[in-house]
Amino acid sequence: MGDKTDVWQGTLSLMVLRTLETMGAQHGYGLARRIEQTSGDMLQLNYGTLYPALLKLEQEGFIRSKWGVSDNNRKAKFYELTRAGHRQLKKAAADWEQTTAILARFLTPANES
Amino acid sequence: MRPIRILAHRLLGLFRAHRADADFSAELESNVAMHTDDLVRAGLTPTEARRQALIRLGGAEQTRQAHRERRTLPWIESLLRDLTYAARTLAKHRGTTAIAILSIGLGIGANATIFSMVSRFVLRPAPMGDPTTLLALHTTHDGDRCCNPFSWPLYNQLRSDAKSFSGVAAYYELIPSSITGQSNPERVWGQGVSSNFFSVAQLPMQLGRGFVHGDENAPVVVLGSALWHRQFNADPRIIGKPITLSGHSYTVVGVVSPAFHGADQILYTEFWVPMSNVARLVPNLPNQESLESHWVEVLARLAPGVTRKEAGAELKTLTDHYALAFPKTENNGSIVFEQAGSLPSNVRANVVLFFAALSIVVLLVLSIAATNVANLLFAQAAPRQRDMAVRLAMGASAARLRRQLLVESLLMGLGGGCLGILLSLVADAALSSSQLPAPVPLDIQIGVDWRVLVYTLLLSIVSGTLLGVAPAWAASRPKLINALKGEDALARPGRRFTMRNLLVVVQIAMSVILLCITGLFLRSLQSASSINIGFRPKNILLASIDPRVDGYTAERTQQFIAMLRRQIAAIPGVDSVAVTDVAPLTDGNRSESFVAPGHTPTNSSGAGADLYMVTPDYFETLGIPRVSDSDFGSGGATGPRTAIVNRAFVDAVFGGENPLGQQVIGGGTTYQVIGVADNSKSRSLGEETRPILYRSLDRSIAEDPSLMGYTLLIHTVVDPNSVRDTVRRQIQSLDPTLAIYNEETMDEHVRTAYFLPRLAAELFGTFGFIGLVLAAVGLYSVMSYSVSRRTREIGIRMALGAQPGTVERLILRQGMVLTLIALVLGWPAAWMLAKMASSFLYGIQPNDALTFALVPPFLAVIALVACYIPARRAAAVDPMRALRAE
Repeated sequence: MGDKTDVWQGTLSLMVLRTLETMGAQHGYGLARRIEQTSGDMLQLNYGTLYPALLKLEQEGFIRSKWGVSDNNRKAKFYELTRAGHRQLKKAAADWEQTTAILARFLTPANES
Repeated sequence: MRPIRILAHRLLGLFRAHRADADFSAELESNVAMHTDDLVRAGLTPTEARRQALIRLGGAEQTRQAHRERRTLPWIESLLRDLTYAARTLAKHRGTTAIAILSIGLGIGANATIFSMVSRFVLRPAPMGDPTTLLALHTTHDGDRCCNPFSWPLYNQLRSDAKSFSGVAAYYELIPSSITGQSNPERVWGQGVSSNFFSVAQLPMQLGRGFVHGDENAPVVVLGSALWHRQFNADPRIIGKPITLSGHSYTVVGVVSPAFHGADQILYTEFWVPMSNVARLVPNLPNQESLESHWVEVLARLAPGVTRKEAGAELKTLTDHYALAFPKTENNGSIVFEQAGSLPSNVRANVVLFFAALSIVVLLVLSIAATNVANLLFAQAAPRQRDMAVRLAMGASAARLRRQLLVESLLMGLGGGCLGILLSLVADAALSSSQLPAPVPLDIQIGVDWRVLVYTLLLSIVSGTLLGVAPAWAASRPKLINALKGEDALARPGRRFTMRNLLVVVQIAMSVILLCITGLFLRSLQSASSINIGFRPKNILLASIDPRVDGYTAERTQQFIAMLRRQIAAIPGVDSVAVTDVAPLTDGNRSESFVAPGHTPTNSSGAGADLYMVTPDYFETLGIPRVSDSDFGSGGATGPRTAIVNRAFVDAVFGGENPLGQQVIGGGTTYQVIGVADNSKSRSLGEETRPILYRSLDRSIAEDPSLMGYTLLIHTVVDPNSVRDTVRRQIQSLDPTLAIYNEETMDEHVRTAYFLPRLAAELFGTFGFIGLVLAAVGLYSVMSYSVSRRTREIGIRMALGAQPGTVERLILRQGMVLTLIALVLGWPAAWMLAKMASSFLYGIQPNDALTFALVPPFLAVIALVACYIPARRAAAVDPMRALRAE
C-alpha cells in the first residue's frame, strides 16, 4: 500500500488490483461497474476518480495498459496485472486483512470476557 | 526503486504531454460511450443516456487535470513555462538583452581569466597519483626560511630510515641538453631522477614504462609527450630505440603522459634520465658524495594510513638524530615539506596576494557590469508595469511575478557566463603564449579547467540573481492605481533619490577606483620604459649555442667560438660580434662575493656581484661606455686573470677609489682589475643597480663552463633580422649538429624583460577600459530613462517659458551631481586600495599625484558626454506633443 494516510486511495488501489485478478484484462468503465457490483452498490464512485488511481498503479508498474476492442465493439483501453502487480496484491491483501483483524478486535463487543 | 520508477515516468511525461492528453481524452470518451450504450440498452433515450453517463463520470475537466498532475511534475512544468516565457521576453528586447549579456560576459570573462590563473598556479594538484599523499621535502638550516635541496648522502640516509613513507625519490631539477630527432637539433631541458621516481610519483605513462630498480646506471631515457611528438613524430615504436642526447646514446624506455612537465609544475622539462647520468650531462656538479653540497630535490609518498602530522613528527626525530650523527653539517638542520607540485611556501604568500589584488579588480569590473545591467532592467521594468499591474489585479501572486523576473535575469547571467568562458579561452591562449623573462623554459600554460567552469557557473548564478533581485522586487509591487492609469508606477511620491540613481553612483564610484589603479599601472609601465638599461639594444641579434652538451672540450669550444666570431664578423652588414655566457636581462647569471685586499667590505662576507664571461668587443657591441679603454686580449687560457668591473662594483668593493691595477678575490680566484665600465641593468629592469664583474671568456671557459651555453651578440648596421638566416647557416656550416636557441633581436629580448610591468598595464588597461565604458553606458541609460520619464514635466516647463538651454542644463546638472557624489565616495577608496598595488609598481609611488589628479576630471568629462546626449534630447522636446501624449 502506497500512502497510508490516504486510506481511500489505498483501498481503491487494492480493489482495482483484486478485480483485475479475478476478471483478467478489463477497461476502466468495466472496472468501475464491477467495483460497484461487488460492493453490492454500497460504493457509488464517480468513474472519473478511478483514472488517476489507474495511472498511479501503472507508473508503479503493477498494471499495464493497451488499447483494444470491448464486447460491444467499442475501442477501449484495457488494464491487466503485471507480475509485480500479482505480488503487490498478495502483500496488500495480507496487510489489509491484518489491519481489519486488529481493528475488529477493538470494535467487536467485549462479550468474551 | 518504486519512487525512482515513478519519477522517471513523470519526467518522461513532460515530453509527451500532447499525445498523453489526447490519449486520455479518448479513454474518457470510450468510457462515456460504453456507459451510454448500457443505459440505452436499459431503455433511456440516447441523449438522456449520455447526460447520465457524463454525470457519473464526474467533472471531465477536473478528471483531466488530476490525471495530468499525476502524469507529470507540475513544478517542473511551471519552471519550464517560466523559462520559455523568459526566453521569449529576452528575445523581444533584443537590444537590452545583447547589452546585458555583453556586459556580464565581459565581467565574467575577466573573472574567469584571473581564476584560471589561480586554478593553475594555486589550486591545481600535480598530475602524480594521489596528490594529497605526495610531499615535496626540503631542508632548512638554523631556522632560516624555506628552502634548500638535499645533499645526496642525506637523501640516501632518509630513504633508508624514514618509515612514514612508502617511497622517497630524488631528482635533479635542470639538465640542459641538445637532442636531434627528425627536425633541427634542439635545445631541451630534462631532469635526473632516482630509479624509484616514477613509482613514487605514480606517473601515468603514455607509452612504455618508467624507471625501475636496476636502471640506476643504465643509459635509458623517458621522454616528455610534447618532445616525442615534436622530434620523433609520435613514433609508437620508439620504445627500445636509441636516441642521441647531448652526444650520448640513450635507449627510450617510456613516454610520460602529456600532463606531466616536471614535479614542481613550474619548470618545463621534457626528458628524464637516471640520476647517475647527471654528472656527465651537467658540468661542475658539486661533489655528489658530500653532505655539504645540496643539489637534489626530494619527493616522498606517504605510506598508507600515515598522516602528514605523523610524518612530520618522524622527520623531526630523524633530524635530531642526524644532528648528532653529522654535527658538522646537520646541526640545527630541519626538514620541511609541502604537498608536491604546490608553490613553495616562500613564494606562495606573494603569489596569493597578487591574485587577490587581481581578483578584487575583476570583481569590481563585474560589479560595474552587473550594476549596469540592473539599471537597464530597471529602465525596462518601467514600461512593463502595466503588464505586471494587470496580472496582479487578476490575482497573480507577487511571488510568482518575482520568480518570473528572476528566471529572466538568471538566464541573462548564464548567457553572460557562456560568453565569459569564450572570452577567457581567448585571453588564456594569449596569456599562455607570452614570453617570460627567464633563462629556462617555464610551464605557464593556463586554460579553462573544471574548477574554472564551476567558478564561472557560480558567478553567473550569483550575478544573475543579484542583478535581478532589485528590479524584480520593485516591478512586482507597482502602485496599482498609477500603473493601470498608464502612469509611472515605480515613482514613489517624495523620493528624489531613486534606486537607479543609487546604482549609478555606486557604478561611477567603482570606476573611479578602477581607473585610478589602471592609471597607476600605466604610469608604472611608462616609468619602467624610461628606465636606463645602460646599453643600446638597437640593431643587435642574439643567438645561443652550447657546444659543451655536444661533447666539445673547453679548448675546442674556445676555438669554435673564435672561428665563429671571425666568420660572422665577415658577414656584410655586421660591424661587431661578441660572445658572452648570459646576455643581460636574462636573470641566469652566476654571482659571487668579492673582497679587495686593503679595503674593508661593507659586510663581512664581501659584496655580491654578478659574473659575466665576455670576449673582446663586448662593450662596443652593446654600447656600454667604458671609463678606461683597455679590453680583454684575445689570449688563450693562460696568463693572469683579468677583470673589468662596473661603477657599482667600484663603489661596493673599493669604496669608490680607483681600482685600476688592484686585485679582487671572489670564489677562490684572484682577478686583476684592468678597466671600469658604466653601470647597466643585469638581471631585471626593476633591480637596484648591481655590481658586475666581467671576466675573459677565453680564460674562464675551462674551469667554469657555463650551464646556459654561450650567446652571440651581433651588432649590425642593417636590420638585424636580415642577417638571421646567414648567421644560422654560418653556425651550421661549422657544425650541423649544434642546437641553436634563443634566437631573437635585443629589442625583443628587452621587451620580454618588460613582461611584468607590461602584463600589469595590459590587464589593468583592459579592465579599466571595460569599466569606464560600462559606467558611461550606465550613466547614459539612466539619464535617457530619466528624460523619457520626465517628458511631460519638461513639456510643461517649456510651455511655461523655459528655454531649451535651461532644460539642457537641468538634465546635465542632475547627471553631474550624481557624478560628483560618486567621485567624492570613490576617490578616497581608491587612495586606500592603491597601497595594495605598491609592490607591483615600477618607479612610482602608490599615491602617484598625477594619476589621482587626472582621473576625476577625466571621468567627469566622460560623464558629461554621457549626459549630454539625453540632455539634448530633453531640450528638443516639443511642448505641444509632450502634453498631448497619453
